[in-house]
Amino acid sequence: MSRTHRVIPGLPLTLGYTLFYLSALVLLPLAALALKAGQMSAPEFFRVITDPVVTASLRLTFFASTLAALINAVFGLIVAWSLVRYDFPLRRLFDAVIDFPFALPTAVAGLTFANLFLKDGWLGGFGPRLVEGVNALAGLTGAGPLLPSGALDWLTFPYTGQTGGIVIVLVFVGLPFVVRTVQPVLLEWDPEYEIAARSLGAKPATIFARVIFPEIAPAWVSGVALAFARAVGEYGSVIFIAANIPGRSQIAPLQIVTRLDDFQYAQASAIGVVLLAISLLILLVINGLESFSRRHERTA
Amino acid sequence: MTIEIRNISKSYGDNKILQNIDLKIESGELVALLGPSGSGKTTLLRVIAGIEQADEGSGPVLFDDVDVSDVDLGKRRIGFVFQHYALFKHMNVFENIAFGLRAKPRRERPGEAQIREKVQTLLDLIQLGNMAQRYPSQLSGGQRQRVALARALAVEPRVLLLDEPFGALDATVRRELRRWLRRLHDTIHVTTIFVTHDQEEALEVSDRVAVMNAGRIEQYAPPQEVYEKPASPFVFKFLGNYNLFHGRGQSGDGAALVRPHDIVIHRDRDSAGPDARLGLVSHIGFGGPVVKVELETEDKTHVDVEVTTPTFNDLALKRGETVWFALRTQQEYEYDFVI
Amino acid sequence: MAGAPIAAKTALGPIKPAPPPHPVARTVLVTLAVSFLTIFILVPLVNVFVQAFAKGLDGYLAVFWPPQPAPEQVLSVVQQRKLAEAAVQAGRTWHAIGLTLSVAAIVVPLNICFGLAAAWATTKFNFRGRALLISLIDLPFSVSPVVAGLVFVLLLGRNGIFGDWATHLTWIDPFSLRWVGFEAGFPLAFERDYSGVIFTPLAIVLASVFVTFPFVARSLTPLMESQGTDEELAALSLGASGWRTFFKITVPNVKWALLYGVILCTARAFGEFGAVSVVSGHVDVNDTMPLRIEKLWNEYNNQAAFTVASVLALLAVFTLVAKAAIEWKAARDLPQNQGHSSQ
Repeated sequence: MSRTHRVIPGLPLTLGYTLFYLSALVLLPLAALALKAGQMSAPEFFRVITDPVVTASLRLTFFASTLAALINAVFGLIVAWSLVRYDFPLRRLFDAVIDFPFALPTAVAGLTFANLFLKDGWLGGFGPRLVEGVNALAGLTGAGPLLPSGALDWLTFPYTGQTGGIVIVLVFVGLPFVVRTVQPVLLEWDPEYEIAARSLGAKPATIFARVIFPEIAPAWVSGVALAFARAVGEYGSVIFIAANIPGRSQIAPLQIVTRLDDFQYAQASAIGVVLLAISLLILLVINGLESFSRRHERTA
Repeated sequence: MTIEIRNISKSYGDNKILQNIDLKIESGELVALLGPSGSGKTTLLRVIAGIEQADEGSGPVLFDDVDVSDVDLGKRRIGFVFQHYALFKHMNVFENIAFGLRAKPRRERPGEAQIREKVQTLLDLIQLGNMAQRYPSQLSGGQRQRVALARALAVEPRVLLLDEPFGALDATVRRELRRWLRRLHDTIHVTTIFVTHDQEEALEVSDRVAVMNAGRIEQYAPPQEVYEKPASPFVFKFLGNYNLFHGRGQSGDGAALVRPHDIVIHRDRDSAGPDARLGLVSHIGFGGPVVKVELETEDKTHVDVEVTTPTFNDLALKRGETVWFALRTQQEYEYDFVI
Repeated sequence: MAGAPIAAKTALGPIKPAPPPHPVARTVLVTLAVSFLTIFILVPLVNVFVQAFAKGLDGYLAVFWPPQPAPEQVLSVVQQRKLAEAAVQAGRTWHAIGLTLSVAAIVVPLNICFGLAAAWATTKFNFRGRALLISLIDLPFSVSPVVAGLVFVLLLGRNGIFGDWATHLTWIDPFSLRWVGFEAGFPLAFERDYSGVIFTPLAIVLASVFVTFPFVARSLTPLMESQGTDEELAALSLGASGWRTFFKITVPNVKWALLYGVILCTARAFGEFGAVSVVSGHVDVNDTMPLRIEKLWNEYNNQAAFTVASVLALLAVFTLVAKAAIEWKAARDLPQNQGHSSQ
């Protein structure tokens, strides 16, 4: 520590307070988790996390989180690109609502999605509801029913209580991550490169693949990783929409809650350690990516 | 107030920013710390201010022969003007200037009426009397600079320290403001140190110049002396354009540094003198009162010469002509020091 | 930078001139983007309010203020029981609202103090381990809410590491301070105390602090770092004390970022579900608003669940509006930064 900055007062006070508060409220509790899990022997730990109910929940968590992250990878990129590059009506409104999943309590999100994707919900029964709506409108104008009832019965998404519902809410909670990590890079991107590439005769698709995408790829990957990490830990919204049947539709965080309710603290902490390890691993990957892209920038 | 610093060193890790600096500034002097970037001049100023601490083992910083090394920044009674002014952007000009007065402990704090009067006096001094209610964002660069100065002066500092005071301004404003600073200093006579990398600025404004290079003071003297008797090749080179001649030393191998305007061009050998050499006029650059003539000698080295326009017209030089040139004065250095 | 709650610097500028977009690509991409956002954000949001008002405005208000029968009205036993049930439900809802507000009233000031201290320490000074400290402050963002609750159970629960001490801890509920009149001697008294930590509101406070921990620090740090220390040094050189410098110079310079962090922290404190659920013990008196929503949903009281949810959804909308307003305000203040760059 150099003496230079000591001219500004308050380091002992603020640093001491920060370290105390951080240790007492974050590090100590996390250490308790490690300690509790550490009290188990290795075979015991292994037995807990290979319990069929636990592995099923971990598998479901990974499967749904991966699928949700992939959907966000594609649509997040499309959304970020459209918002930055194209002008369209209500563009700023759509930009503002991107942050909505950050702001909306997860319980509310779970509640409304569970309701929407019920068999006869607006989206769960999208086809029949659409027919209903169109025919009602037609009735107002005096014409007869436009669409025969049952015409769109195949267009339904009754996902509440199914894995599809879990994926849906995980897409929602992870949605802002990809958009908000890619967007700043796209905003800083100077279209002159594209004009130059275009003047050299490159096709737009080639320009995107060879010129633009490499530039946004690190941000995109870390955005997808963040969305995945968020999805793995998500609890509130999922339990509203999932059927929560042990061994079939329980996500890993719900397994923790179930074990806690049964006072199986060691088992709960073992699953907790697995989840924590995953989030820390993703954190490391993202930090690695960021320092890689910084180095890359410096040499470029 | 006099300022004296003895044997000050400062390093960041292995990077030695200041090395054993000694400096003594007389009361009421206006001193420039001149040097290229990375020479340590700003660090030296910050050590004097108390913003940075010198390394362990350094000597003291003395204000009027009192050691202030361990006195806090706020208690040193210095006025510090930052390169980018550091005006408080959420306060208007008046509040900026009054800040130091309002921050005084209750016993010493002047009354509101006195604060108003004092700030108004300072506003008049910096010729911004009618801008008290403006915010920093509404001022030009030169105006901000003057507000920063007034804010520093409000607490009646014993010494005024200015970091690159004109660095962020455009050329015209710079020239105007440095004359204003000189006049201001002549009025208030507070000991002042300012940092600059502009040799013209340092020479024009200051009473004495400390030329710094690589963490050391190369020369500390009045401007004229610094210019006419540079203590080292570095000082010579830093203060203006120069030509380098090899092997012409009187005491064996060495080099000579010559300013372009200290070379005289002659049409004929007789008037040029015994040491004159031949040169081919390879380029002529017109630029106001001085014409820049580039000569190519027999050994293919280039020599820059500056002649006044009347002289140039008398000589009627043309490109491709061969002429004689002689050195009016020169600074000789042994080789070791030059390269 | 994992788990950014709301990314900074995403304000859309005008569209930069670029080669003319391919018309088909443009149409397809914009349609996809708009449909995606409509289905995943706008429709769910609208649905919250539609469902909340499924029984009209009266039904909506009845969740909070159950209908009172006129005094002369004769009620059947079934009707009486229904009314009594509605009154109990409304009471629980009000209790949840009160608890949520109380928790936020403790959590948010705590995290403001912490955020300011942490931002000051990590941006105005350089010390070994600074980068690690910044990462550790961000850590709660990448921990699953359920794990956040779990760690407190493991620390302070019955079999926890400090379990013996924590289960015998008795503490007074500061929000139960009531006027009891002079007969009792001192006219103010606390009406409620608790023993233990886990499965009490204190655990809810701890879990909420954990999950909202980084918000204020995180929204201050980038700004304070970019502002450097020149203004603070200028104030100190003019003789101002450290506190004066902090309150008169530093805080006004970061006021918008601070406000933003506070809003995010508040929104999260109101809305946290997983961590709070784990430490609440599913007891009615420990229900915050999100937990109350879950209970109503499990009781098939759809409309009431959505009514409580609509309050939180409104709060989320307010958060976004505040974000936009603060961004607009900060952008307007931005020209003042010219000539005030960091050293």
